[in-house]
Amino acid sequence: MKYVLRHLGLYLLAIWVSLTLNFVLPRTMPGDPVSALIGRMHGRFSPAQIEALRKAYGFTNAPLVEQYLQYLGHAVRGDFGLSISAYPVKVSAIISTALMWTVLLGVITLLLSFVLGTILGVIVAWRRGGILDSVLPSLFNFIGSFPYFFLAMLALFIFGFTLDWFPMSHAYSDLLSPGPTWEFIGSVVVHLIMPAGTVILISVGGWLIGMRSTMIAVLAEDYIIMAEAKGLPQWQVMFNYAMRNAILPNFTQFGMSIGFILGGQILTEIVFSYPGLGFYLVRAVTAHDYPLMQALFLMITVAILAANLIVDMLYVRLDPRVRTT
Amino acid sequence: MFRYKIYTAMAVLVLAALVLAACGGVSIPAATQGPAVTQAPAVTAVPNIATQAPAPSAAPTTDASKAFLTVNMEQQSTWVRNFNLFSPDSRLQAGNGVMYEPLMIFNKATGELVPWLATAYSWNADNTVLTFKLRQNVLWSDGQPFTAKDVIYTFDLLKAKPELLNNIGSILTDNVDGWSAPDDFTVEFKFKVIHTPALHLLANQLIVPEHIWKDIPDPATFTNENPVGTGPFTEVTKFQDQIYVVEKNPHYWQAGKPYFQGLRFPAYPGNDQANLALANGELDWAGNFVPDVEKTFVAKNPQDFHYYFLGGDGVLLYINPAVKPFDSADVRKAVSMGIDRKMVLNVAMFDYVPPLDATGLSDEFKIWKSAEAVAAGTWTNYDPKTANEMLDKAGLNKGADGIRIGPDGKPMKYALLSPNGWTDWNSACQIISQNMKDLGIEITLDTPEENSWQEQVFQGKFQWTLSWSSGGATPYEFYRGQMSKMTILPIGQNANENWGRFDDPKADQLLDEYGQTSDPAKQKDIMNQLQMIFVNDAPALPLFPGPDWYEYVTTRFTGFPTKENPYAPGPPYNTPSFAPNTLLVLTELKPK
Repeated sequence: MKYVLRHLGLYLLAIWVSLTLNFVLPRTMPGDPVSALIGRMHGRFSPAQIEALRKAYGFTNAPLVEQYLQYLGHAVRGDFGLSISAYPVKVSAIISTALMWTVLLGVITLLLSFVLGTILGVIVAWRRGGILDSVLPSLFNFIGSFPYFFLAMLALFIFGFTLDWFPMSHAYSDLLSPGPTWEFIGSVVVHLIMPAGTVILISVGGWLIGMRSTMIAVLAEDYIIMAEAKGLPQWQVMFNYAMRNAILPNFTQFGMSIGFILGGQILTEIVFSYPGLGFYLVRAVTAHDYPLMQALFLMITVAILAANLIVDMLYVRLDPRVRTT
Repeated sequence: MFRYKIYTAMAVLVLAALVLAACGGVSIPAATQGPAVTQAPAVTAVPNIATQAPAPSAAPTTDASKAFLTVNMEQQSTWVRNFNLFSPDSRLQAGNGVMYEPLMIFNKATGELVPWLATAYSWNADNTVLTFKLRQNVLWSDGQPFTAKDVIYTFDLLKAKPELLNNIGSILTDNVDGWSAPDDFTVEFKFKVIHTPALHLLANQLIVPEHIWKDIPDPATFTNENPVGTGPFTEVTKFQDQIYVVEKNPHYWQAGKPYFQGLRFPAYPGNDQANLALANGELDWAGNFVPDVEKTFVAKNPQDFHYYFLGGDGVLLYINPAVKPFDSADVRKAVSMGIDRKMVLNVAMFDYVPPLDATGLSDEFKIWKSAEAVAAGTWTNYDPKTANEMLDKAGLNKGADGIRIGPDGKPMKYALLSPNGWTDWNSACQIISQNMKDLGIEITLDTPEENSWQEQVFQGKFQWTLSWSSGGATPYEFYRGQMSKMTILPIGQNANENWGRFDDPKADQLLDEYGQTSDPAKQKDIMNQLQMIFVNDAPALPLFPGPDWYEYVTTRFTGFPTKENPYAPGPPYNTPSFAPNTLLVLTELKPK
């Protein structure tokens, strides 16, 4: 319990630091939202209008400390105010339209590539030197070294445009209304195949190789030889004895990756017109939309910290050695 | 262990910060020419899409009058419901060019002021009163009658709340004394400072219903989810994150129009995705930059896939006259003659538009063009030999390394600015810097992030830069933005135009006279003289007009403006310089 409490304190400190950075960093960018807007509109504002817009956007010349305290107060209440790039829509409204799709895409790709990569890693390590072992790691390494943007565009062009196997954009068919019907769910799945597939293709190699190397180390342990000597079935040795121990580093990595779901899919979402958060993140930065930017970056950092916390807690259960550190 | 992970988390944060700081790296190439609002005619590589036969359409068409037109007006990854036409940046485009209407529409293609909610306008003898006669029997989409009260209310609102987006802010405060309605269908504007170009701006203002808006506590933060307008399409019948549908106004005043049921707006985050949908035949009407349009779009279905790109507001090379020796018009003209505009157009613009001549006016102002000024403006012709002679004559002799020596005794080396990611401008700048080598001037291309570029240019702290120019119904705005003290701000303050802080007193006087008269013949004469002054002064060097992007598909609909019959501008989007021309097209389109 003491262990948990001490950790919580550290995490709170980390959140405060990230909140502060989140406040400072956007304000160090050159320019401000109103001049960014004027640029996009190619001028055409009178000075009085510019002044009025600044006011409407909530820019005051109040001391930074005051602004900072106000920001902290609002952040604690989860109130990020009105977006600037989508003024006067609430930041929370924008995030709620896009969050679901980002989470769906992120969770599916992460789970599939983790499970697939780990299992393949186990099998490949078990039969190291075999055909699979010589083909799979190098193949996935090769694919994984492609720039993602290129691979995604290629997939979009070949399977979407030329062959017309999969839809080229969006998260579900434009002709459907969202609802719990089989038709809608089917449409969501079909629309997920290309965006998720390309990410899995790129990322599965990492899991596979990580798993393979720890498996090989674990397989050299005495208790594995012992288990084999006792005449246990191969699958039992492979999964219950070797994999269970070898999976720990991959598991840590998995926890970390959960945190990255929110911010890590910008390219996927842009290439496949997937209605997620990535596009807003980019737009918030280019439009100097501080409120939206702050909310998004904060969500990402909190998600990463939360994922870490959960992994930390689980570690205590999985690996008794941690408790003593 | 855990500490290590906290550090990792912090590292991630710092990484996020770096992304943020170096946001040029992740930013989507932003809007360059033409549609300044949300369109992004960005020149990024699209896979060559010329190899595929046309795919079947996805849009449902059963009964012709029930047909839906699929439009791409703007690029967004998901739609956020905001139809407030006064929102600065984020209102959905359908909010202005489809749901609401102005008194009169300035048709940029024909140069005419088309009667719309008003049937006529008139100036009094000394141009101090502008009167609009309103159309009777117009209903708002909720069935209430449209009257002069709504017009008065709209202008009152804009004056009281300058944060609401509009083009007429300074006119309402500086020029117009007041507006009133002598009867239900007449509106008068009284001027304290006569300014006849105000006509187009006042006439073009979209009108909102008083009976709805008077109850809105703060119109600036109103998202107007269920708009009430006089436009042809007002009923939002479906609104999802990736598509929305607007159906026709049950009370539309043009009997029998519109000829089809509604508009569908699918969301695409960028040009590449919108262009794929276009080439796939999923869209009926679009305004995107399409690279190599003949091959990637038209070739897929030459019968039904069409486009034409007209030149819009000009893109110019601005050389800061505060940097010597560029205070001399002859030196600026010499630089201009060293630029191979044909090559610039070919490399940067796919030859979609012709280069600008020395008047700086594109074809959209052809009725205004003075043949005499065009003929006198020889300095936009590519002639490096004469250019070198002119520079020699100006005493700028070449040093040992072939670079000319400036009046300050230093080699003529300058930075040419262009925003990061605006690839078409950047490649134009590359050609210019190569061209300048032949003149003995060394130009280095500098592509700062958009905001920082803008800061340097707007505050007058630049040497050379590419930039846009002001547009309007007449060339008045263009010339005022190039050479009038009205648009000069001190260095260090953000100026929307006249970045080189250039002023010609003769031009000022002419612009002033132009604003005083409503006589077309006199206006034409003044405009001829202004063109001549621009050609003599060369305050900035015209390069090419930013194209107005326009593609249309005639598989399902007919009646689009064509190259042969350009009855209205083609683009489906609205910018301040041609809002709301979409109304002219939407009321003519017919389902097949």
